[in-house]
Amino acid sequence: MWSTAREIAAGDTVIIWLTREVVQSLVVTPGKDFNSKFGNYRHSDFIGMPYGSKVGSRTGKGFIHVLRPTPELWTMALPHRTQILYIADISLIISYLDIRRDSRVIEAGTGSGSFSHSVARSIGPSGHLWSYEFHEARAKKAREEFAQHGMSDIVTLTHQNVCKDGFNLTDAADSVFLDLPAPWDAVEHAKQALRKDRTTRICCFSPCMEQVLRTVSALNDAGFSDITMYETLVRPHDVAHVPALQSVTEVADKLKKAEGVREIKRLRQIAAGQRSHENPHGEKRKRSEEGSEQEELPVAEAEDSGSGKRLKTDDEMDDGTPSQDADVSRNLDELSVHTVRAGASIPAPPAKISVSKAIPEVRGHTSYLTFATLLPPMPPAPPEDTASQVPETT
Amino acid sequence: MSAPATPEFNTRTPTIQSGSTILLRLPNGDAKAVKIDKDSTVSLGRLGAFYANGLINEPFGRTYDIVEKKLTLIPPRTLAEVEDTDATNEYINDGEFVQPLTLEEIQALKQSGAHASEIIKMQIEQHANYSLKTEYSKEKYKKRKEAKYSKVFTTIEPTLFNVCEYWFKKDQTRIRDIRVDALSQILNMANIRPGGRYLAVDDASGLIVSGILERMGGMGRLITICNTDSPPAYPVMVNMNFTNETAAPLSSLNWATADQSHTPVVPPSDVPSDQIKSDRQKSRLNKRKAATDLLNSTREDLFAGEFDALIVASEYEPFSILEKLVPYVAGSGSIVVQSPYGQILSDLHTKLRALPGYLCPSVTEVWLRRYQVLPGRTHPTMNTSGSGGFILHAIKVYNDENANAITSHRRSKPNANSSSSNGKIIIAADPADASMEDANETS
Repeated sequence: MWSTAREIAAGDTVIIWLTREVVQSLVVTPGKDFNSKFGNYRHSDFIGMPYGSKVGSRTGKGFIHVLRPTPELWTMALPHRTQILYIADISLIISYLDIRRDSRVIEAGTGSGSFSHSVARSIGPSGHLWSYEFHEARAKKAREEFAQHGMSDIVTLTHQNVCKDGFNLTDAADSVFLDLPAPWDAVEHAKQALRKDRTTRICCFSPCMEQVLRTVSALNDAGFSDITMYETLVRPHDVAHVPALQSVTEVADKLKKAEGVREIKRLRQIAAGQRSHENPHGEKRKRSEEGSEQEELPVAEAEDSGSGKRLKTDDEMDDGTPSQDADVSRNLDELSVHTVRAGASIPAPPAKISVSKAIPEVRGHTSYLTFATLLPPMPPAPPEDTASQVPETT
Repeated sequence: MSAPATPEFNTRTPTIQSGSTILLRLPNGDAKAVKIDKDSTVSLGRLGAFYANGLINEPFGRTYDIVEKKLTLIPPRTLAEVEDTDATNEYINDGEFVQPLTLEEIQALKQSGAHASEIIKMQIEQHANYSLKTEYSKEKYKKRKEAKYSKVFTTIEPTLFNVCEYWFKKDQTRIRDIRVDALSQILNMANIRPGGRYLAVDDASGLIVSGILERMGGMGRLITICNTDSPPAYPVMVNMNFTNETAAPLSSLNWATADQSHTPVVPPSDVPSDQIKSDRQKSRLNKRKAATDLLNSTREDLFAGEFDALIVASEYEPFSILEKLVPYVAGSGSIVVQSPYGQILSDLHTKLRALPGYLCPSVTEVWLRRYQVLPGRTHPTMNTSGSGGFILHAIKVYNDENANAITSHRRSKPNANSSSSNGKIIIAADPADASMEDANETS
């Protein structure tokens, strides 16, 4: 399909990765430029670079990554002509239909070619894909793309309505994939196109349950067995690197510390109040209180003005209660020790952890995948002699 | 239009061969692995036993009834349309005595060789309330009895899908919770194709290796790194029934022999011919030489690098694996890491985002829902698997120290680079580093 060389050459189809949302493809053509809001580049600059290179723009502002195409990157980059299939559905269908080297596969319709590229990759250079598209312009565009991607040898693209005209194939394919509005109309044609000398499989891709039910009964009527249905999605996760969550013990310690500071202030003010009884000059009292607080209780600095207000109310409530100077100072000493210890137990800033959750808005439904199997016809009834089944008695 | 004339590649034997280990679907829906050897008898427990020769050279997917140890081919089951009636369960109560046929009588019937369908017919005839049941309920009853008495089984074609489903049901921890949708996505994300070159670390019993080999179709190269001295046991491969050609691209190293700075200690195999005393010694030396040559050539292949992808499903710390093996991955190659735990991949994601060699690491979780498809009774299955694991995908790129983000003039503003729409937090201390991947995304 695409280049497998280490370095990019003229004529290669490459994937230009701008951001995770903006992925484009281009054919490296000397003389051409690639211009984007992430800078301007000359195609000829890519030639000789290894695939996977980060390339800075000519002005030095902005960069791109030049990647080797894969069917998955092509799905991100391709021009949408129709609703397309994404990796979750594509990969499950490839597995269920047992598509592998040399498989012969039918798909209808071709659409934007997202599934076609995945099939072409899996069947390899000696498999075959018959692809049918009833929309003429889409068929033409897809044919050009397949040629550009070196798939013409293994893909036969036909502009045809398979529901009306079938596949023009008999006993040829290992598996059939139908992405059509009315797949039940193509089931009998599909049966004709499938090989009868081995187990073959079909997948019908329909967004609505009503379509599934009609498809199931068509498959059953046509003699398919093992009919089953799946729905599959990818749930992308956002990963964040955040500080480890705090323990409530730390919160409790902080609160205890604040509690202690508040009590110290209260007791200090009581003590100051008692002193002011001895010294009736109000203004002087205030100044001396502030001074002593700064001297003895540096821990109180952390307190905000709000808690200062609260302290005042506490004081007012306690105003006039008799207390003894000796008691007050003893309590103060104990509280200071307690407060300092609580402060010291707060650990260093915690390490960071990685957490993840599903992103807020995800694709909730694509289509239902209805699978069925077509077994080779039963052999004619075996002859009466069944001796071959019994081990010879020796 | 006709199919290509070239003979197809056989990934596995197209029919059942003597010596194969194959999967059988039993009447209760479970799959069972049995070994088919010529002239042997295969025992299926309650279903009885049958002569293995009846399956040899048969294609996969057929359904058989066991009659006196011989196999009778029967047509596959089709979906029966159920005609709805007015019946409801209005008059059916729990605990009523409805089945006069005793267990002993049923046992006697079974021993007399009565066919399952006859036993079920008798049970229905004797059933007191059968006619009160709805048609759907009757169907369910018949199906339940069939699962109990029928001696019918179907051979399961060992496709990757079927083998993965079998192992996931049997013991999902041994395949590290890799459900079939996860396996399929891993193989697609890693761009596995005929002719590719891949590195894999498979601590999932060989499920990943089986998937890669099947998609390679005997073309290309696969090197696995394991934790054992001897070649790794990949038990899932036994169920795949691969031909020798399919398994040919695989060779294995372990974490010591995959270390480029390490010189493996191997016993001498180049002994002068006059010192060889016996034919036995000679054949032993030849074997030893072949093993040493294989080891050396595999190491050369690994160290030559330029692999198309690295696939990891391992019990070991994933970043330590990436540090060792990503240097051997080609530019633009895929790096796919699976884990049953989202946490492990979140940690890995955080580490990779800070490094310029990994483009767009992303973590996804798989989601799959199966439906019961029966006419008039279609709904998701009542029981389903809770998780099929998580996948991290990134693309290996070559950094260019001189390339600058388009937003570089905004760097003076803190956080200008980290305001990506998907809420990603950039952890690199130096904003110049952080901009490596995401700076383009901010504008």
